[in-house]
Amino acid sequence: MRLVRYTYPIHRSPVSLLGGFARSPWAGLESEIDRLFTSTLADLGAPASELRFPVDLYEDKDNTYVRAELPGLRRDDIHVEVVDDYLTINATRKTKEGDREQSFAFNRSISLPAATRNDQITASYEQGVLTVTLPKKEEAKPRKITVNVN
Amino acid sequence: MSLLNTLIPSINRTLARRGDDAANAAQTVAPAYEIKETADAYGLTVHLPGVNKDGLELTVEEGTFTVRGQRAWKQPSGWTTLYRESVDLPFELVLTHDNTIDADKIHAELADGVLRVSLPKAEAVKPRKITVS
Repeated sequence: MRLVRYTYPIHRSPVSLLGGFARSPWAGLESEIDRLFTSTLADLGAPASELRFPVDLYEDKDNTYVRAELPGLRRDDIHVEVVDDYLTINATRKTKEGDREQSFAFNRSISLPAATRNDQITASYEQGVLTVTLPKKEEAKPRKITVNVN
Repeated sequence: MSLLNTLIPSINRTLARRGDDAANAAQTVAPAYEIKETADAYGLTVHLPGVNKDGLELTVEEGTFTVRGQRAWKQPSGWTTLYRESVDLPFELVLTHDNTIDADKIHAELADGVLRVSLPKAEAVKPRKITVS
Protein backbone atom coordinates (compact mmCIF):
# COMPACT_ATOMS: atom_id res chain seq x y z
CA MET A 1 0.00 0.00 0.00
CA ARG A 2 1.74 3.12 -1.18
CA LEU A 3 0.63 6.57 -2.01
CA VAL A 4 0.30 6.93 -5.72
CA ARG A 5 1.15 10.11 -7.53
CA TYR A 6 -1.35 10.79 -10.25
CA THR A 7 0.05 10.03 -13.68
CA TYR A 8 -1.65 10.68 -16.93
CA PRO A 9 -3.00 7.57 -18.61
CA ILE A 10 -1.21 6.43 -21.72
CA HIS A 11 -3.57 5.27 -24.39
CA ARG A 12 -2.01 2.51 -26.33
CA SER A 13 -4.63 0.49 -28.05
CA PRO A 14 -3.61 -2.80 -29.59
CA VAL A 15 -5.73 -1.97 -32.60
CA SER A 16 -3.23 0.61 -33.76
CA LEU A 17 -0.56 -2.01 -34.18
CA LEU A 18 -2.67 -3.67 -36.83
CA GLY A 19 -3.15 -0.35 -38.59
CA GLY A 20 -6.74 -0.15 -37.30
CA PHE A 21 -9.41 2.39 -38.02
CA ALA A 22 -8.48 6.02 -38.73
CA ARG A 23 -5.87 6.53 -36.01
CA SER A 24 -3.20 8.98 -37.01
CA PRO A 25 0.19 7.33 -37.42
CA TRP A 26 1.56 10.02 -35.13
CA ALA A 27 -0.85 9.41 -32.28
CA GLY A 28 1.58 7.24 -30.40
CA LEU A 29 4.35 9.81 -30.72
CA GLU A 30 1.99 12.61 -29.74
CA SER A 31 0.95 10.92 -26.57
CA GLU A 32 4.56 10.15 -25.71
CA ILE A 33 5.51 13.80 -26.20
CA ASP A 34 2.58 14.92 -24.04
CA ARG A 35 3.59 12.53 -21.36
CA LEU A 36 7.19 13.68 -21.55
CA PHE A 37 6.24 17.32 -21.05
CA THR A 38 3.73 16.77 -18.29
CA SER A 39 5.71 14.27 -16.28
CA THR A 40 9.04 16.07 -16.55
CA LEU A 41 7.66 19.44 -15.56
CA ALA A 42 5.43 17.94 -12.90
CA ASP A 43 8.48 16.63 -11.10
CA LEU A 44 9.41 20.14 -10.02
CA GLY A 45 7.67 20.51 -6.70
CA ALA A 46 6.48 16.95 -6.62
CA PRO A 47 4.99 15.79 -3.33
CA ALA A 48 6.79 13.36 -1.07
CA SER A 49 6.82 10.12 -2.95
CA GLU A 50 8.38 6.86 -1.94
CA LEU A 51 11.07 7.85 0.47
CA ARG A 52 11.96 11.36 -0.59
CA PHE A 53 10.50 14.55 0.80
CA PRO A 54 10.99 18.18 -0.24
CA VAL A 55 13.25 20.30 1.94
CA ASP A 56 13.73 24.08 1.85
CA LEU A 57 16.62 26.00 3.30
CA TYR A 58 16.39 29.65 4.36
CA GLU A 59 18.39 32.02 6.52
CA ASP A 60 18.23 35.44 8.05
CA LYS A 61 21.00 37.18 9.94
CA ASP A 62 20.45 35.29 13.19
CA ASN A 63 19.24 31.84 12.21
CA THR A 64 19.24 29.17 9.58
CA TYR A 65 15.85 27.59 8.90
CA VAL A 66 15.08 24.22 7.43
CA ARG A 67 11.52 23.30 6.39
CA ALA A 68 10.60 19.77 5.41
CA GLU A 69 7.23 18.57 4.11
CA LEU A 70 6.43 15.45 6.08
CA PRO A 71 2.68 15.05 6.42
CA GLY A 72 1.04 12.44 8.59
CA LEU A 73 3.73 11.71 11.14
CA ARG A 74 3.66 11.53 14.91
CA ARG A 75 6.01 13.84 16.71
CA ASP A 76 7.71 10.88 18.38
CA ASP A 77 8.56 9.42 15.02
CA ILE A 78 10.58 12.40 13.85
CA HIS A 79 14.24 12.65 14.85
CA VAL A 80 16.41 15.64 14.07
CA GLU A 81 20.15 15.58 14.68
CA VAL A 82 22.89 18.07 14.04
CA VAL A 83 26.43 16.79 13.61
CA ASP A 84 29.16 19.24 12.59
CA ASP A 85 27.74 21.05 9.60
CA TYR A 86 25.02 18.56 8.75
CA LEU A 87 21.42 18.39 9.79
CA THR A 88 19.89 14.92 9.55
CA ILE A 89 16.16 14.28 9.58
CA ASN A 90 15.00 10.72 10.25
CA ALA A 91 11.31 10.01 10.22
CA THR A 92 9.18 6.88 10.22
CA ARG A 93 5.68 6.70 8.97
CA LYS A 94 3.86 3.77 10.48
CA THR A 95 0.56 2.77 8.97
CA LYS A 96 -1.78 0.23 10.38
CA GLU A 97 -4.14 -1.58 8.12
CA GLY A 98 -6.30 -4.19 9.74
CA ASP A 99 -3.73 -6.57 11.09
CA ARG A 100 -0.72 -5.45 9.14
CA GLU A 101 1.58 -2.67 10.14
CA GLN A 102 3.84 -1.09 7.62
CA SER A 103 6.62 1.29 8.29
CA PHE A 104 8.36 3.65 5.87
CA ALA A 105 11.59 5.31 6.84
CA PHE A 106 12.58 8.73 5.51
CA ASN A 107 16.08 9.96 5.81
CA ARG A 108 17.72 13.14 4.63
CA SER A 109 20.96 14.96 5.43
CA ILE A 110 21.38 18.60 4.61
CA SER A 111 24.59 20.54 4.85
CA LEU A 112 24.19 23.77 6.74
CA PRO A 113 25.60 27.01 5.42
CA ALA A 114 26.61 28.49 8.78
CA ALA A 115 27.96 27.26 12.10
CA THR A 116 25.14 26.79 14.59
CA ARG A 117 24.77 26.91 18.34
CA ASN A 118 23.67 23.34 18.80
CA ASP A 119 22.16 23.74 22.24
CA GLN A 120 19.66 26.31 21.06
CA ILE A 121 18.13 24.50 18.14
CA THR A 122 14.34 24.29 18.13
CA ALA A 123 11.92 22.47 15.89
CA SER A 124 8.18 22.58 15.38
CA TYR A 125 5.85 20.37 13.40
CA GLU A 126 2.66 21.99 12.16
CA GLN A 127 0.21 20.94 9.48
CA GLY A 128 2.62 18.33 8.32
CA VAL A 129 5.59 20.66 7.90
CA LEU A 130 8.65 20.35 10.10
CA THR A 131 10.49 23.64 10.69
CA VAL A 132 13.89 23.53 12.36
CA THR A 133 15.37 26.82 13.58
CA LEU A 134 19.14 26.80 14.03
CA PRO A 135 20.62 29.90 15.66
CA LYS A 136 23.92 30.91 14.14
CA LYS A 137 27.10 31.17 16.11
CA GLU A 138 28.30 34.72 16.65
CA GLU A 139 31.21 34.39 14.29
CA ALA A 140 28.91 33.15 11.52
CA LYS A 141 26.64 36.19 11.66
CA PRO A 142 27.21 38.90 9.08
CA ARG A 143 29.40 41.67 10.39
CA LYS A 144 30.07 45.15 9.18
CA ILE A 145 33.72 45.81 8.48
CA THR A 146 34.78 49.40 8.48
CA VAL A 147 37.28 50.38 5.87
CA ASN A 148 39.93 52.79 7.07
CA VAL A 149 41.02 55.29 4.53
CA ASN A 150 44.55 56.50 5.04
CA MET B 1 9.97 23.07 -39.50
CA SER B 2 6.39 24.06 -40.22
CA LEU B 3 5.89 20.71 -41.93
CA LEU B 4 6.79 19.03 -38.66
CA ASN B 5 4.36 21.27 -36.79
CA THR B 6 1.51 20.41 -39.12
CA LEU B 7 2.24 16.72 -39.03
CA ILE B 8 2.52 16.59 -35.24
CA PRO B 9 0.14 19.28 -33.94
CA SER B 10 0.74 18.44 -30.29
CA ILE B 11 4.22 20.01 -30.47
CA ASN B 12 2.68 23.45 -31.09
CA ARG B 13 -0.01 22.87 -28.54
CA THR B 14 2.25 21.97 -25.63
CA LEU B 15 4.75 24.75 -26.21
CA ALA B 16 2.03 27.41 -26.47
CA ARG B 17 0.43 26.18 -23.30
CA ARG B 18 3.62 26.60 -21.28
CA GLY B 19 3.95 30.29 -22.08
CA ASP B 20 0.38 31.23 -21.40
CA ASP B 21 0.17 33.63 -18.47
CA ALA B 22 -3.52 33.17 -17.84
CA ALA B 23 -3.01 29.46 -17.42
CA ASN B 24 0.04 30.01 -15.22
CA ALA B 25 -1.93 32.12 -12.79
CA ALA B 26 -4.22 29.22 -12.00
CA GLN B 27 -1.44 26.65 -11.70
CA THR B 28 -1.76 24.09 -9.04
CA VAL B 29 0.14 21.07 -7.86
CA ALA B 30 -1.35 17.61 -7.64
CA PRO B 31 -0.98 16.11 -4.17
CA ALA B 32 -0.14 12.50 -3.40
CA TYR B 33 -3.29 10.54 -2.71
CA GLU B 34 -4.60 7.06 -2.24
CA ILE B 35 -8.03 5.51 -2.52
CA LYS B 36 -9.16 2.39 -0.74
CA GLU B 37 -12.52 0.78 -1.21
CA THR B 38 -14.62 -1.14 1.26
CA ALA B 39 -18.08 -2.52 0.80
CA ASP B 40 -19.73 0.61 2.22
CA ALA B 41 -17.51 3.47 1.26
CA TYR B 42 -14.43 4.78 -0.44
CA GLY B 43 -11.63 6.02 1.77
CA LEU B 44 -9.48 8.78 0.33
CA THR B 45 -6.21 9.86 1.91
CA VAL B 46 -4.54 12.99 0.54
CA HIS B 47 -1.25 14.45 1.66
CA LEU B 48 -1.57 18.23 1.96
CA PRO B 49 1.40 19.51 3.95
CA GLY B 50 1.06 23.10 5.06
CA VAL B 51 -2.70 23.27 4.60
CA ASN B 52 -5.00 23.92 7.53
CA LYS B 53 -8.78 23.85 7.75
CA ASP B 54 -9.25 27.41 6.53
CA GLY B 55 -7.39 26.82 3.33
CA LEU B 56 -9.12 23.58 2.48
CA GLU B 57 -12.08 23.29 0.15
CA LEU B 58 -13.92 20.12 -0.84
CA THR B 59 -16.53 20.23 -3.58
CA VAL B 60 -18.75 17.57 -5.02
CA GLU B 61 -20.40 18.26 -8.30
CA GLU B 62 -21.72 16.48 -11.34
CA GLY B 63 -19.48 13.47 -11.53
CA THR B 64 -16.39 15.02 -9.93
CA PHE B 65 -15.01 15.42 -6.47
CA THR B 66 -12.49 18.22 -6.02
CA VAL B 67 -10.07 18.89 -3.20
CA ARG B 68 -8.38 22.30 -3.13
CA GLY B 69 -5.88 23.33 -0.52
CA GLN B 70 -4.10 26.65 -0.02
CA ARG B 71 -0.84 26.59 1.85
CA ALA B 72 -1.07 28.66 4.98
CA TRP B 73 2.57 29.59 5.42
CA LYS B 74 4.08 32.74 3.96
CA GLN B 75 7.81 33.21 4.02
CA PRO B 76 8.69 35.91 6.59
CA SER B 77 10.23 38.95 4.93
CA GLY B 78 13.59 38.70 6.69
CA TRP B 79 14.32 35.22 5.39
CA THR B 80 16.65 34.72 2.45
CA THR B 81 15.96 31.66 0.36
CA LEU B 82 19.00 29.46 -0.01
CA TYR B 83 17.50 26.32 -1.48
CA ARG B 84 13.93 25.40 -2.39
CA GLU B 85 12.50 22.04 -3.25
CA SER B 86 8.86 22.58 -2.42
CA VAL B 87 6.58 24.93 -4.32
CA ASP B 88 4.15 27.51 -3.05
CA LEU B 89 1.39 26.56 -5.46
CA PRO B 90 -1.95 25.47 -4.04
CA PHE B 91 -2.98 21.85 -4.21
CA GLU B 92 -5.74 20.63 -6.43
CA LEU B 93 -7.04 17.13 -6.85
CA VAL B 94 -9.95 16.25 -9.10
CA LEU B 95 -11.41 12.79 -9.01
CA THR B 96 -14.20 11.57 -11.20
CA HIS B 97 -16.93 9.35 -9.96
CA ASP B 98 -19.91 7.92 -11.68
CA ASN B 99 -22.49 9.17 -9.18
CA THR B 100 -22.02 6.25 -6.88
CA ILE B 101 -21.33 8.47 -3.87
CA ASP B 102 -23.85 9.68 -1.36
CA ALA B 103 -22.81 13.34 -1.15
CA ASP B 104 -24.67 14.08 2.07
CA LYS B 105 -22.76 11.57 4.10
CA ILE B 106 -19.22 12.54 3.15
CA HIS B 107 -17.04 12.86 6.21
CA ALA B 108 -13.60 14.48 6.17
CA GLU B 109 -10.82 15.12 8.68
CA LEU B 110 -7.61 17.05 8.33
CA ALA B 111 -4.77 16.39 10.76
CA ASP B 112 -1.05 17.12 10.44
CA GLY B 113 -1.31 17.77 6.75
CA VAL B 114 -3.17 14.56 5.95
CA LEU B 115 -6.76 14.73 4.76
CA ARG B 116 -8.84 11.61 5.23
CA VAL B 117 -12.20 11.57 3.49
CA SER B 118 -14.77 8.88 3.74
CA LEU B 119 -17.15 8.80 0.79
CA PRO B 120 -20.04 6.47 1.49
CA LYS B 121 -21.38 4.65 -1.48
CA ALA B 122 -24.89 5.34 -2.61
CA GLU B 123 -27.39 2.73 -1.46
CA ALA B 124 -28.07 1.37 -4.89
CA VAL B 125 -24.44 0.47 -5.48
CA LYS B 126 -23.59 -1.46 -2.34
CA PRO B 127 -23.09 -5.14 -2.92
CA ARG B 128 -26.27 -6.95 -2.21
CA LYS B 129 -27.06 -10.56 -1.79
CA ILE B 130 -29.64 -11.83 -4.22
CA THR B 131 -31.62 -14.80 -3.08
CA VAL B 132 -32.55 -17.41 -5.57
CA SER B 133 -36.05 -18.66 -5.13
